[in-house]
Formats: sequence, structure tokens, C-alpha cells
Amino acid sequence: MKDNVASTVVLMLLLFLNIRLLNGESPPGKPTIFKCRSPEKETFTCWWRPGTDGGLPTNYTLTYHKEGETITHECPDYKTSGPNSCYFSKKHTSIWTIYIMTVNATNKMGSNISDPRYVDVTYIVEPDPPENLTLEVKQPEDRKPYLWIKWFPPTLVDVRSGWLTLQYEIRLKPEKAAEWETHFAGQQTQFKILSLYPGQKYLVQVRCKPDHGFWSNWSQESSIQIPSDFTMKDTTVWIFVAILSAVICLIMVWAVALKGYSMVTCIFPPVPGPKIKGFDTHLLEKGKSEELLSALGCQDFPPTSDCEDLLVEFLEVDDNEDQQLMPAHSKEHPGQGVKPTHLDPDNDSGRGSCDSPSLLSEKCEEPRANPPTFHTPKVIEQPENPKTNITCTCDPHSINAEGKIHYYHAVGSKSSTWPLPQAVQHNPKSPYHSIDDMYKLAVSPAGALTILLDKAGKDASRSSKTIETGGEKKAVKQREMESFPSKTEKGTTWLLPQEKAHVIAAKPLDYVEIHKVNKDGALSLLPKQKENSDQTEKARAPETSKEYAKVSRVMENNILVLVPDPCAQSGALFEESAKEALSSLQKNQAEKDMTCFTATPSNCRHQQGGLDYLDPACFTHSFH
Amino acid sequence: MVTTMDSKRSPRRGSLLLLLVSNLLCKNVASLPLCPSGAVNCQVSLRDLFDRAVILSHYIHNLSSEMFNEFDKRYAQGRGFITKAINSCHTSSLSTPEDKEQAQQIHHEDLLNLVLRVLRSWNDPLYHLVSEVRGMHEAPEAILSKAIEIEEQNKRLLEGMEKIVGQVHPGIKENEVYSVWSGLPSLQMADEDSRLFAFYNLLHCLRRDSHKIDNYLKLLKCRMIYDSNC
Repeated sequence: MKDNVASTVVLMLLLFLNIRLLNGESPPGKPTIFKCRSPEKETFTCWWRPGTDGGLPTNYTLTYHKEGETITHECPDYKTSGPNSCYFSKKHTSIWTIYIMTVNATNKMGSNISDPRYVDVTYIVEPDPPENLTLEVKQPEDRKPYLWIKWFPPTLVDVRSGWLTLQYEIRLKPEKAAEWETHFAGQQTQFKILSLYPGQKYLVQVRCKPDHGFWSNWSQESSIQIPSDFTMKDTTVWIFVAILSAVICLIMVWAVALKGYSMVTCIFPPVPGPKIKGFDTHLLEKGKSEELLSALGCQDFPPTSDCEDLLVEFLEVDDNEDQQLMPAHSKEHPGQGVKPTHLDPDNDSGRGSCDSPSLLSEKCEEPRANPPTFHTPKVIEQPENPKTNITCTCDPHSINAEGKIHYYHAVGSKSSTWPLPQAVQHNPKSPYHSIDDMYKLAVSPAGALTILLDKAGKDASRSSKTIETGGEKKAVKQREMESFPSKTEKGTTWLLPQEKAHVIAAKPLDYVEIHKVNKDGALSLLPKQKENSDQTEKARAPETSKEYAKVSRVMENNILVLVPDPCAQSGALFEESAKEALSSLQKNQAEKDMTCFTATPSNCRHQQGGLDYLDPACFTHSFH
Repeated sequence: MVTTMDSKRSPRRGSLLLLLVSNLLCKNVASLPLCPSGAVNCQVSLRDLFDRAVILSHYIHNLSSEMFNEFDKRYAQGRGFITKAINSCHTSSLSTPEDKEQAQQIHHEDLLNLVLRVLRSWNDPLYHLVSEVRGMHEAPEAILSKAIEIEEQNKRLLEGMEKIVGQVHPGIKENEVYSVWSGLPSLQMADEDSRLFAFYNLLHCLRRDSHKIDNYLKLLKCRMIYDSNC
């Protein structure tokens, strides 16, 4: 019976409760103290978060007790810090003491208590932001303007007594910028910003932190407009620009002054003169068109074998100055026609003997009339170009339409032949005998020579060889000879004096026909039978049928060593010519060069094939 | 000034000698590091002493705080040590001010002595802390190095404070009062939980006391050097 009653009562209670629950009422949920904070280490506040209220008005109470005490206290102030908070005033705050506090939520249905929270005020200090943030743009004279930021510590914090020590941090940015620029300011309450963008509006904030606590929130934004007139800066910039421009101008003027000429030539390159091989402007001026044209003789005489078939030239020594020598047509010269090629003294190097001007112009026999167009051996000019390779560049130009003999560039290789200027020889010897003969020809009339000499003199920088009266002509010739080798342009000039000399000397020229060119550069020449009886004294007329020149080798100074063909037996001819040269040269009181030269014929004779030939080495020496 | 002048001798010689001796003595006096209170040049040196002391105390508290946080994070999570570390510091017997008003009411000399007492009370615990942390399994290097540093700096701070006290209150040498620490057996307990709690408690108390010392010294500095106008 009792059991029945008991169980009934329980059942009733449960029903009752269930009814209440069905109405949605329940005891409050468990609250949570989620934050406690002290702004100045003298007071503090704790906030809690209530749980569910269970649908009923719930009362929250905060109770605490301190470390070392047993008394439980209730929160002294629920209002000051807002709802669900407890404010502990100075009286109720103890530092270096742990507070154990709990919040109790109570409603009609029941109550709930939160977990205890252990709070030591020492470690929950978080001050308010600094106050009275002021901004000022200062523009001192002679210095850059800066932004002066000032502030005050938060009111509540006691810094004066040293109870709290604050450190500050500021941040600023232009209004439109995305990133803040942060600066740590230490314990000072002012700060200067130097790097500012003029004309911008800046926003500034400041916050603080106690010596052992948490950072405060950022203060309210303060803004300031930076004035945009930085006149000092502009002036400085302009001064700098002016100085820089002046410096640049000075440098340019100086550079121009130093290298004015070269710059001018760079900008306005000189108009090149005509560079026709064998072309002498002086002759042009003089109106000696024939000589001019003859000067543009064929230069190249290919010494190599591939040129062997190319040139079949003959030297024509013509005593008739009006007579234009017609060159044997060279098959290498298809397109050239009669165009005189310019003896290009500038391009001696690199071009083998093919580029040498025609050696012995046919005209050399005309002493009276226009100087025969004979071409002095380019080799003479060439000694100074020992380096050029005489691969026979069969320059078609060299095969002059006028039938000049091609000169070989006496360029170091052995393929160069020694174009003996025999064609201009007045003596009946082989025209290739000696350069000596050429000298003689060149020497002839001083008047004619002067023209040439002018040119030679102009070009020659070394007239070191004296021009002595006795051997004036020789000297002149000598000078020319020297000058010619020294200058690459001498091709023509070399020609002309020879021509002149020849004309003046009135020495008949021998015609020599270049028979062939061997692969070793031997120039096989055939003297041509001429009707000129002037050459009678040149007893070599009978010998003209022989080959006179064959390049045996090339000396180191680009001298071609021509040897008379072994078949030829006119050794006496050579001797004669040598002697003549000797005698003529002996008149020359020039330098030892001449003597050397004169001596050379004897010294330079070799025995080869029974014939004598002159060692061009000596000639080379004399030319330098 | 010492004069060994015989009154029978000529006054001129005596005055010369007097001048000479006084010169020498004056020099010596000027070069004395310690000076009696009230002398002008003493203020400067006291300021330097306080500045250095504050720097040291601030540094020690930073180290202690870091050391406690590391230990708490590493060993004490979920063990509820804080509930047991209530009123368990050996220096709680020293009546230290508990808030700003109390601290400002204490005379500066008393406060200085209090600081000295607290500092002395920690000599022994710090020494044992270092040796015991070394003996911990997986001896945490960060905690050990900080403990060693704190011990070193604490000694220096003690020396500095004694100098300050010597300047502020020369001549009076109080009995060396300090709290005795008896927590060594706890640090050496076999039970890991108990041992860890002992370490936790020690570090907790060290953090608090170093903060107290730092706070008191800053108060004293502002009060004595800057005349409460920091």
C-alpha cells in the first residue's frame, strides 16, 4: 500500500515536471565567465556569457573568494560594466592575489553554476587607447617638413607614479592606401614622421601596452592634410637638374673639342676621291689623258696557275707617244672593255700581283710625246707590303684593255713576280732587266718629273734621300722610289715618273709579250719584235724572241726575282743593262742607297740558268 | 685636513703644508664612488643604480613569465594545478603591499628592504630549480636556460639593491630577513604528478614575486628619482 502511494506521488511529480517541461521551461543553462580585464591594474571587470535561460527569467550572481581567504563575496557591482558583468572597484581589487569566482544562474526551474575561473589581476591588464591624439605638420626652414604626432596616455592609467609603464605604437597611412605604416614609439608620447607624400591626407592611430600586459585597442583615427607646396624640394630638384645639364654639356663640348675632327668626319665623311687604279688626278689636270688612261692599266698579273690562261699580255714599248697601246685582249677581262682600270695603290695589299699595274707600258718608248703608259712594277711600291698575299687574284682590272703588262704586287709570297720595268728601258736589254733602267727612265726630264714628283712629294713623307744636283734626276727618282714604296698610293705615281722619264729619256721601249705565267709565278715574257729602230742599240732585239723573265722567287720585301729564261742566252744583255744602270747611277751622288743600288747589280747577280739577274733585295733596300 | 704642524714652527710653512694636504684630500673625496646622502653627485649615481635595477627586474619577470607559460603549456595541461597552487608561495609570509595605495603608503626604505627580503628569499629556490630542471627527464632546454639566466640575474639584482640601500640608508644593516623555502623535497618527489605540481607551484610563485619586485622598484624609482613624475 505504501509503495503504491509512493510510486503514485513520484508519478505525479514527474507528470507535473513533464507538464512544465512540455511548456518549454527549464533550468538555466550553464553560464561561462569568458573575460576579465583590468584597464589600469587598480580595478577590473569580469564578463560572463549566460547559457540558455530555460524560458524563464534567470538571475545571475557572481560569487568569489580570494586566495588566502575563506570568505565568499558576491560581485560588488553588476552595473558599471554593463549587463552580465561584474565590476570590481579599487576597494575590492587586490593585486598579486588569485580570485576564484563563479557565476550562478538561477530561475524558477533551477539553477546552474559556472566553472570557477581563477583570475590574477596582475596578468589581465589591458589599458584604454591613448587620448588626445594631435597631428601637426611642421615646416622648419632649411629642413624638410615633417609630421609631428602627439598624444596622451589613457586617463585611467597612472604612469606618473610608475605603477604602470606604458609603451606606445603609432600607425599611419595615406587615406587611400591599403597598408598601414607602423612605428614603435617606446615610452615617449610624441613622434615625428619625415617621409611624407605631399598633397596627401594622412590617417593616424596610436595604441599602448603596459610593461607586462596586453595591447590596447587603436585609438580613433586622426587625419591631417599634408600641404603640397614643397617649394624647397622643387628648388633643389631644379638646381640639381641644371647642374646635371651643365655637366653634360661640358662633357659634350670637351669631347667634341678633342675629337672634333673625327666626329665631323664621322658625321660628314669626306667624299672619297676617285680610286681608279692607275688614275692620277694630276695627269688629269694636266690634260694628259693618254697617260692617265695608260696609267689605268691592267694591274693584275695572276701569278698562280689558275691565272695562267688568263693573261696574255704584251708589253708594248712605243716611242710614239700618240700611240695608244692596245692591250691584248684578255680572256679574263670580259666585261672590262677598254675601261682603264685604276691602279689602285690603296688596294695593293691582299691583291696579288694581279693587282699590280701594268708594268712596262708600251709607252715607255716615247720620250718626247706623252709619256708612254708603262707601269712601273708595282713591286717597287710594294716592298712595304710584305704581308699581302700574292695569291694571284686575277683581277680582271689588271688586264688592261690597253694591254699593259700586269704588275705583280711584290707581296711577300713567292708567287709574286718581279715585274722588271724593263719595258721602259731605253736600252735594248730585256725590259725586265733591271729596275735600274726604270730609274733611268724615271729620271729623264726633270720637268716631267716634277709633276710626278709633286705627287710623289705630296705622298712621300720621306724624301730623306737627298736630292743632289748631280744626280738630281736620280735623286728625284730615288725619292720617288722611296716614296713610292712607302705609300700604297704610289701605283700611279710610280707609273708616271717612269713614263715621264721614259719620255724624256727618249728611250725606246721594248715590247715584251707575256707569254705565260707559270704556276710558280714565273712570268715568261717574250720580247716583241718591233719596228722601232730606236731599239737598235738595244742589242737584245735578237733576243727578244726569248723569254726574258721568269720569276724565280719572291724576296722578303716583296721583290720579285725575275730570272731570265734559261733558254735565253742573253746574259750579256743583262750585263749590259746592269752596267748601264751602274754608270748612270754612279752619277748619282745620292745616298748609299744608290750606291747600294749601283752595287747591287753586281752583287745581286745570281747564276741561274747561265743568266744574270738582279737581286731585287737590293732594290728594295734602296727604296726604303 | 691633517696638519702636522708644530705650533712652534713658522706659520707660513704650516699654511703651505696645509694647502698641499688639503689638495690631495679633496681629490680623494671627489673620486669616492659612494657619497653620503644629500650630496649632489649622489643623485646621479642613484639614478643609474635604479635604472639598472629596473632593467634587471623587468628582464627577470619577462623570463619568469615565459618560463611559466612554457611549463604550463607543456606539462600542466588538464591537471588543474592552478586549483592547488593557492596560497602556496613561501614568500607569502612577507607582508607585501597588495595594491597601489598600500605600496605608496609604505616608506621607501621599508619598501627597499622588502624588496631585498624577497630577493634573498629566492636565492635558494632558484639554485635548486636549476639543478632539478636539469634532472628532469626530457629536460626542456628553453626552461632550463631561462632558469639559469634568472638565477644569474637575480644575484646581480640583489647586489644592485644592496648598493642602493647602502646609498639611501647607509650605515643601517638590518638582519638578513628572508623567507625560507622548503619546497625542495617536493621537487624531488618520485610521483611525477606531485613533482610536476611542485615545479608548477615554484614557477607560479616566481612569476608573481618577480612581478612584485619589478613593480616596487618602478614605484621607488619614480618616487625617489623623478619625484613621482615619471
